Amino acid sequence: MIDALSVRLYYLVAFVLIGIGTYMMIDKGNLVKKVIGMNVFQSGIFLFFIVIAYVSGASPPLLTAPGPYVSPLPHVLILTAIVVGVSLTAVALGLIVRIYGEYSTLDTEIIREVSDDE
Amino acid sequence: MSSALEIGLLAFVVVSALATALLRDVLGSIIAFSAYSLGISIIWVFLRAPDVGLTEAAVGAGVMTVLFLLTIAKTVRPAGEKTIERVNVRALGVTIAFVAVLSTTLFALPPVGAGDSAVVTDDVTRYYLENAYTETEVHNAVTAVLAAYRGFDTLGEAVVVYSAGIGILLVLHKEVFE
Repeated sequence: MIDALSVRLYYLVAFVLIGIGTYMMIDKGNLVKKVIGMNVFQSGIFLFFIVIAYVSGASPPLLTAPGPYVSPLPHVLILTAIVVGVSLTAVALGLIVRIYGEYSTLDTEIIREVSDDE
Repeated sequence: MSSALEIGLLAFVVVSALATALLRDVLGSIIAFSAYSLGISIIWVFLRAPDVGLTEAAVGAGVMTVLFLLTIAKTVRPAGEKTIERVNVRALGVTIAFVAVLSTTLFALPPVGAGDSAVVTDDVTRYYLENAYTETEVHNAVTAVLAAYRGFDTLGEAVVVYSAGIGILLVLHKEVFE
């Protein structure tokens, strides 16, 4: 059991990071913290992808190094995902700045009350 | 089996993620997130993904932190007396249930670093590694796949970044019709 777990430690850490991100997105009233939580969630998924590409003792996928190599495909997918994640965060933060200009608060509860009153 | 350095690094990442979640001050949370990103980018180097590590360090720890700091500079940073936020039991319950469901798959996954896992032995992986240099003359297989084999993917990514830029301009544009 402990042996089986210790060779899968990276997966467990990825699941825990996804959990921390979920907690932040559910619990936080502050919109900026919700976006930070989304980023933690994302990097948990990234960790999962990079770990499945890993082969112990292998070289990075630079073909000048001697083989065997780790799989380059998940690396490519995650590179794309990181850049898309940054775009997502940038748009979310732009919306947050706009929401603050409109409501003068970033607390979801207060925003909900104010928009219900309108 | 992971080395002590890797275990220490994973512990650092989990602790800084917890600090990000529990610190009350938004600025503190952002700084903890930046440390977290840096730790993750070192993990990418350990997992033989130097390209991802570079991107994560530049974009995750660099650009992302600047974006968050700009946002709280333009909005508010709610002050509180307590350093640590109180844990919300209901949210924690949902989270634990979610992680438990994910963890049921844990022992079905191949051990980390196994040379015979499905991803590593897949035809696609093998094709890229065997033919990337002869077909594209690029020594870095990640660059070859990114720019040549999956060029349309990268074009789509560029479209996403472009639309994000347009979106931010639209959202932050002050309307002056009077």
